[in-house]
Amino acid sequence: MDNDTILSVQDLAVSFRTYSGKVQAVRGVSFDLKKGETLAIVGESGSGKSVTTKAIMGLLAKNATIESGKILFDDHDLVKYKEKDFCKLRGKDISLVFQDPLSALNPIMKIGKQITETLVLREGLSRREAKKKAIELMEMVGIPDPETRYNEYPFQFSGGMRQRIVIAIALASNARILICDEPTTALDVTIQAKILDQIKQIKRDRQLSVIFITHDLGVVANMADRICIMYAGRIVEVGTADEIFYHPAHPYTWALLSSVPDLETKERLMAIPGTPPNMVAPPEGDAFAERNKYALAIDFEQAPPYFRLSDTHYAATWLLHPKAPKVEMPDVLKARIARMRQKAGLDNE
Amino acid sequence: MVRYILQRILAMILTLLIILTVAFMVVRLMPGSVFDLDPELSDTAIKAMNAKYHFDQPMIKQYGYFMADVLFHNDWGTSIAMRPNVAVWDILKDRIPVTLKLNLISLFAALPFGLFFGIVAAINKNTLVDHLVSLMVVLFISIPSFIYAAGLQYFVGYKWKWLPLIYDPAAHGWAQFRSMILPMLALSFDPIARVARYLRAELIENINSDYMLLAKAKGLTFRQSIMRHALRNSMVPMMNIIIPMFAEVLSGSLVIESIFAVAGMGGLMVDSINSSDHMLTVAILMFYSLISLITILIVDISYGIVDPRVRMGVKG
Repeated sequence: MDNDTILSVQDLAVSFRTYSGKVQAVRGVSFDLKKGETLAIVGESGSGKSVTTKAIMGLLAKNATIESGKILFDDHDLVKYKEKDFCKLRGKDISLVFQDPLSALNPIMKIGKQITETLVLREGLSRREAKKKAIELMEMVGIPDPETRYNEYPFQFSGGMRQRIVIAIALASNARILICDEPTTALDVTIQAKILDQIKQIKRDRQLSVIFITHDLGVVANMADRICIMYAGRIVEVGTADEIFYHPAHPYTWALLSSVPDLETKERLMAIPGTPPNMVAPPEGDAFAERNKYALAIDFEQAPPYFRLSDTHYAATWLLHPKAPKVEMPDVLKARIARMRQKAGLDNE
Repeated sequence: MVRYILQRILAMILTLLIILTVAFMVVRLMPGSVFDLDPELSDTAIKAMNAKYHFDQPMIKQYGYFMADVLFHNDWGTSIAMRPNVAVWDILKDRIPVTLKLNLISLFAALPFGLFFGIVAAINKNTLVDHLVSLMVVLFISIPSFIYAAGLQYFVGYKWKWLPLIYDPAAHGWAQFRSMILPMLALSFDPIARVARYLRAELIENINSDYMLLAKAKGLTFRQSIMRHALRNSMVPMMNIIIPMFAEVLSGSLVIESIFAVAGMGGLMVDSINSSDHMLTVAILMFYSLISLITILIVDISYGIVDPRVRMGVKG
């Protein structure tokens, strides 16, 4: 782990015991989180992105086991952590913002108390100090009139305001890593943009490292420095935001990008045919092969290794093998990338 | 909130008046008169007594006399059969405290055990501990209290001689309490099981909720998150179960009081019906109705205290 890296996940595999068998939710995920960067993990439901973050926080359900791998943070391996150790880590070093702010707050506890709880219980602040800090936090996340709001209950807050409170709780103890698990999915679009701006600004002010989980590539575009694309418990492509958006290499990334509408989209939106594989018995080769019209014969037999495209850009698809037939990305996507480049003023490149 | 409580109390008074009317009518319409039971009474005597108690008048007039006495003089009539010529109110005055004491202590003694078993079962969901608690709950709920009463009397009271067989009204302090332990135990099994069962279900639901995940994610220990979040939130619906449970304990006490010879309301009610002591029956019915209505009122008010959403009149 070099000095720039604050969190390193190495070959993490998580499975769940269920009645229908062992579900292999995460199958060998590796990524590094650099200090001060925003790393987005993108994938559809069930791709293992939330499970990965829960493994980092030690919040996996009781029927989950970490099969292999390491999660290195400050030279400690979080995989070996006990519940007691996690209690000291959660909120203090690594914080989590949840998907659904409507149910994440305790409905019958005052907002202020929910923010100050850990400050008083763990950090030993007096009630008055904690209250002062909570009001500062509420101000920071953009709650108007925080002194009054401090004594109100969650049902008196709108969805967006509640998510701001959840963010304030996450930031209460000066965490260094903020994990946002689809923080805006439950909110409407205008509020979404505001919350994202807020997270961006706080990240800058506090020099946080952020892991941003989402299934929405549109959200990621303005947030992320680097992007991991996850599918069926694996990272299929990783690269800087520019690399993923302008030079996508994996057919799954192509499909994802094609399914996001932009203002000029005239043709029918592309849907990805089929459903994700059953993770009780994941396919032998490339998990995406079943739904991939570019799939090669070998995709059904052997999982592809990561092929290097640049120092920061890797993709796991046999299409990048030197002996593979040359396959271009779909035309729809090419046109769309051209439009995006134009808008970003990159046309001369 | 005050307005809300006043509304509830007004509704409660109206309900009581209706119950009083129905109770009076139903009891009075039962066939047979108290004087039928005594073959030695002459016709003239019966006539005289019927006239004295207005039994010879039309029902509606009797109702008028009765309501006037009750509402304006707190006069519930006179017992005719059970303790002849003693005012009903005086009979109740001695009996009510005994019943309330027995039942309240039983309920409050049951609560900590019920809560404890519920918490233990919920935290150890689907383990041996949980299954043992479930077994206990099934046994406690499905077997009626008088079976336990008889069993307790036989083993604890008769075989092992640890505690007195029956309630001792003459004793004082510790000795009287000792004689109350067996009836209390018999009455406690059901509430213990009910509280444990409901709390287990509520707590499991709350433990799996999103806000518990947030509570953990912000760094609370398991114990802190349970005590400060899950348990408190589980207590909101529990109020709705625990307080009306008092009425249930009271009804169980109808039988238990007879078994342990407790001079309370339970035995009195059964005896008064059997002996056609109408005035007494109506008054006892009113006592039980009043208790039920009060428990419901307390539930409504306590909801507002525990749950800010109810207090502030907001839905959702």
